Amino acid sequence: MKKPKIINNSDDLPTSALSRRKFITMTGAGLAVLSFPMSSAFAFEGKKQLASPKIVWLLLRGALDSLHTIVPTFDQQYKTLRPKLSTSFKSPLLPLEKGFALHPSLKNLHQWYQEKSLLPVVAVYSGYPKRSHFDGQDYLESGKGEIDHDSGWLARAIEVKNKRALAVSRSTPISLRSSDQVNTWYPSNLKDADEDIYAALDKLYQNDESLRASLESGLQVRGLVGDKKGKKKKRQGKFIDLSKACAKLMVGEQGVDCAMLELGGWDTHKNQGTRLDRNLAELDQGLAALKSGLGEEWRNTVVIVGTEFGRTAKENGTGGTDHGTGSALFLAGGAVNGGKVQGNWPGLKAEELFQQRDLMPTTNSFSWIANVLSQHWHFTEQELKLVFPHVKPYNQAIIRS
Amino acid sequence: MSENSMSSTIISRANIAVNRFGYGARGDELAQAEKDPKQWVESQLKPIKFNGDFPHSNTILIEHAKYQKEKKRQKKQQRKNSQSRNMQDKKKAKNFSRIALRNMSADTINQAIASSNSVSWRLLDFFSNHFSVTAHGLLMVGLSATLEREAIAPHLLGNFEDMLMAVEQHPGMLIYLNNEKSFGPNSRMAKKHKKGLNENLAREIMELHTLGVDGGYSQTDVIELAKGITGWSVKRPGKERGEGFVFRAYGHEPGARKLLGKTYSQKGIAQGSQMLRDLAMHPATAKHVCYKLAHHFVSQNPPASLLKEMQATWLKTHGNINAVMRCLFDADDAWLNSTQKYKTPREFVISTLRALSLKKYNDKALLSTLINLGQQPFNAGSPAGYSDDELDWLGASALMARIDWSTMVSGYSKRVNAEKVMSRALGSSVSELSYRSVLRAESSQQALTLLLMSPEFQRR
Repeated sequence: MKKPKIINNSDDLPTSALSRRKFITMTGAGLAVLSFPMSSAFAFEGKKQLASPKIVWLLLRGALDSLHTIVPTFDQQYKTLRPKLSTSFKSPLLPLEKGFALHPSLKNLHQWYQEKSLLPVVAVYSGYPKRSHFDGQDYLESGKGEIDHDSGWLARAIEVKNKRALAVSRSTPISLRSSDQVNTWYPSNLKDADEDIYAALDKLYQNDESLRASLESGLQVRGLVGDKKGKKKKRQGKFIDLSKACAKLMVGEQGVDCAMLELGGWDTHKNQGTRLDRNLAELDQGLAALKSGLGEEWRNTVVIVGTEFGRTAKENGTGGTDHGTGSALFLAGGAVNGGKVQGNWPGLKAEELFQQRDLMPTTNSFSWIANVLSQHWHFTEQELKLVFPHVKPYNQAIIRS
Repeated sequence: MSENSMSSTIISRANIAVNRFGYGARGDELAQAEKDPKQWVESQLKPIKFNGDFPHSNTILIEHAKYQKEKKRQKKQQRKNSQSRNMQDKKKAKNFSRIALRNMSADTINQAIASSNSVSWRLLDFFSNHFSVTAHGLLMVGLSATLEREAIAPHLLGNFEDMLMAVEQHPGMLIYLNNEKSFGPNSRMAKKHKKGLNENLAREIMELHTLGVDGGYSQTDVIELAKGITGWSVKRPGKERGEGFVFRAYGHEPGARKLLGKTYSQKGIAQGSQMLRDLAMHPATAKHVCYKLAHHFVSQNPPASLLKEMQATWLKTHGNINAVMRCLFDADDAWLNSTQKYKTPREFVISTLRALSLKKYNDKALLSTLINLGQQPFNAGSPAGYSDDELDWLGASALMARIDWSTMVSGYSKRVNAEKVMSRALGSSVSELSYRSVLRAESSQQALTLLLMSPEFQRR
């Protein structure tokens, strides 16, 4: 494609300034480039391979109730433990193998399961021994067997493989801390300024390299994900919009290798039936938007969906569940060797539960993620130790070869 | 920092006094500072006193205990279905903490905006971030804003040792870093209830609050300090009499401790107290805190000679913060005549509102602005606090948000004359380019936006 020629004939403007014309070209989609002005460590030229395997890490904050998401319909105890919740589904469950079934809101995920690009893993946990959301999330993001607020497993992974990441967040979440190859993007609910002001600022920043670089990079990102002009102000940061934007920032020659998304609202102590109908639909539609945004890249993508811990096996007195232990993990994407349910089912009888209360975890989330890294990003065992010093990877064929 | 990140414009000493050391000029402060910039800065160091308009941490602890009790009671009664009034009580108690946090966060910022000694407010913010706590979980939502008011402000111009002691005994810090439930493995408490040691607070005291990560301590030292402060806890209202800090002797690890080569054979609370006093006066602490002060107030790379003088003053004056700050203001190295740092979102917002003297800015808008710009009060998410580095604030997304916000506040200030604001905020320390851009802007709103987003206003 031929680049549009930039005409700068205004003698009022120094040559470094943006003309209005260049400006519009820059903010328009297509030409835009996501650059990382603050990071000197990057070498863009010639490094990029066409089929670079991508990873999206989605953290469900608040502890997803896995028993209401991947329902063990075969387990005799299930209905006894959850008389209300087990009858709260508004339409039929979506069948998986071994008698498991997906929540009816997860239509797209079920479709992917049938296409063998979804792999649910039951009864997992991070190793975090308690039940505090914040510590549990920090633990899952640190990935070291202890909480480290300044270093995350995904950051360590991209450092090893010299990859670039994007956090769809206002500031860098723990998962991506300790690498300088991370950029952040998040829609602000401030109204966008007029284009004139950007052009004027670009001129004003001609002697200030770092302000100028950030401005141009900011305009490029905004051009890619589209601005809000003309639209009525809606709720900012809807998951489906964040997913769409995330996909846009991952595709194309300068797309990032991996991204992190977050979605909250899973702490369902009450009215769980209604809330999860809605939340799981939001999750399902967001992931579908991510897939369609990634287009061809979906084939090279693994989306890892995790949560800090599970919830009680028994429903509580307010139509919900309380903080528990074992939960679930989803691997989704064209690169995933799915269509099965992974993990060992511990059973729901009182003596099979953890502390007679929670789903007993039988496998470790980090070992599954390490399994993904070794097959999808070709980590050696030595390299994996830098990411997860405390666990051994599983060795299942979970990625298509 | 790379040289090209600095503006080459020469900035006056009065500008430095007001913008580098304070929160920017309000009214005619720049003119006042012109007579004797150094004297003006030194006269800015005044104690900060908070009045009693907002709940004390003890009140928050009581309200929280009530909330927990009500929650428990409701859980028991759930099947009886008579809960509508109590639900409201529960909600009220829950909101109590949120409202306290919102009001106190906004009050600190509003006072900094209105203050005629903004240098002291910068210093308060520095130490509040040095001893950073995050409002995660309902109890910390309530407590986090009380720490700077109750433990930091009273010692702002006093000895660091006293500030350290007040902070480490404050319920906000004890609960944030889990020391309230840390008990010695050989204490009576541990034997009876199977409770154990939690190293969290001890580690952060050495790594962040005093010696610094390279301060020469080992994992053994962390455990020794953790044992030394076992039993430093917080009373549980409703379950025991009184509120606030309590030393639980039955949870304290018995025996002598050895920290950084020195033996502490004191009994009870005296053991941990002496450890903290020694840590406060340790040369590594002088080095660590003086570096952070100079890095915050002066430059990304503070000159070695400045650091040396500050450390010497620290050790000579028993860590007197007032004396150390005067030493900083006294040093020629602190007055480098080009801008040295990029303002944090908080500094940018406060200095903007001081420059504009905007009246209609309400608390909700103020806090939402800081959320959008990435520096929500008491939400750093790590005990290390918010970053003080340009690299972490000058990201693309962050800059775009600043531009959007500047445009918005400029829209509120249509009658404001940008040239006049520029002259009051920056004086003559403006590049030809910025000056012309502001004067030639197509509207007064655009002129003001350009001024606020100019390198001279963004940097200090």
